[in-house]
Amino acid sequence: MHPKIESAFNEAENRYLHPEELGIITQYVESLPKRMHAYCTLRDKEMTIMQQVADQLVKTLPGETTEALERSIKNALLVMRYCAMGMLLNNEAFVKERLHTWMGQSMKAYHSQTVDSALYELLTQSLNQSLTPQQLSFFNPMLAAAQAEFLPQDQPLTAAALGW
Amino acid sequence: MISVADLLVNDRIPGSYFATDAYVRSDLEMGLLENRQGDRLIALPETLIQAIYSGLDKETGQASRLVLFNCGRWWGKNFYARFCAEVTDYYGIPLSNMAMVEFMQALQQCWITHGWGKVDLDQSYQHRGFLVIKGWNSAFARLALKHEQPVCYLEAGILAAFFSQLTGKDLHCIQTTCESMGADCNRFVLGLAKRLEPAETMVTNLAHDAIMQALCGEN
Repeated sequence: MHPKIESAFNEAENRYLHPEELGIITQYVESLPKRMHAYCTLRDKEMTIMQQVADQLVKTLPGETTEALERSIKNALLVMRYCAMGMLLNNEAFVKERLHTWMGQSMKAYHSQTVDSALYELLTQSLNQSLTPQQLSFFNPMLAAAQAEFLPQDQPLTAAALGW
Repeated sequence: MISVADLLVNDRIPGSYFATDAYVRSDLEMGLLENRQGDRLIALPETLIQAIYSGLDKETGQASRLVLFNCGRWWGKNFYARFCAEVTDYYGIPLSNMAMVEFMQALQQCWITHGWGKVDLDQSYQHRGFLVIKGWNSAFARLALKHEQPVCYLEAGILAAFFSQLTGKDLHCIQTTCESMGADCNRFVLGLAKRLEPAETMVTNLAHDAIMQALCGEN
């Protein structure tokens, strides 16, 4: 559950909820059937989406071994499942906690950053075709939260980043 | 051509078994901590760890190091059996078939989730027959009585037993640097007892690199 909603539920003994807090709950409740629908779409199209990505990935990176590609695809399937559940719960923290450190470490250990960068670009394209803009608006924040856990972020050009 | 459907076994993809939020569960009414298999976990209060240290020191003096090491060995043996069973059950492959990367990740996450700090493997001396385990934020180092030498005998015992079981060789473990002495991390050297023996006396006056050089130079 979204941390804001969870904290609102803790206020029962203190006060009735403020309109903005009720607004957050209403927003979530109203979005739940749509989230469910998006979740079912992802569940039903999981194989189609990822097969599309896999086929493109093989073409994009012909030099990579099948083993490396398969490992990244398998990880991406897992990331998708976590993100889908995160979307249902409306909770990015769920996605982050489940992926925290280990996925990034695994990618680093297998030097799979090139494959993964290409894979997530293709995945984004594939998702754009499979989900409606509204479904994407539910799903994309989860995927972004997941990617922040393992794909290298562009660092701002600061003195500290340059080691000055 | 990659078939995505063939990548799944029983439609599942194992994630991080020891992920903290998934692994530790609590039952407030019963006052219990459990792992995701329903096995009991115990929480060690700082006071208890401190009391174990000071009690042992008072009762057994210098022998407390050996007592802690042997307790660690016992703990490590059981820990290995549980780790093995849980990991095998979750990932569906025996530990021996697991890639080193995945094994280390599981161990590292397991260490974090049990609240023992962080660990990492340093393989620089592997070709010379020694494994170095680095550890950070150990409560056992923080709460120990201060000495002029490393104090994590319990962890050394755990690691010795764990890696002995894993490799099928009787390994010993000696700690060369300790957070309690202001070091950046705790370093544990694992190897055959006979080859590690000379390091026992070096830990009081030599740095880690010098100890490793001395150990490797012997061959």
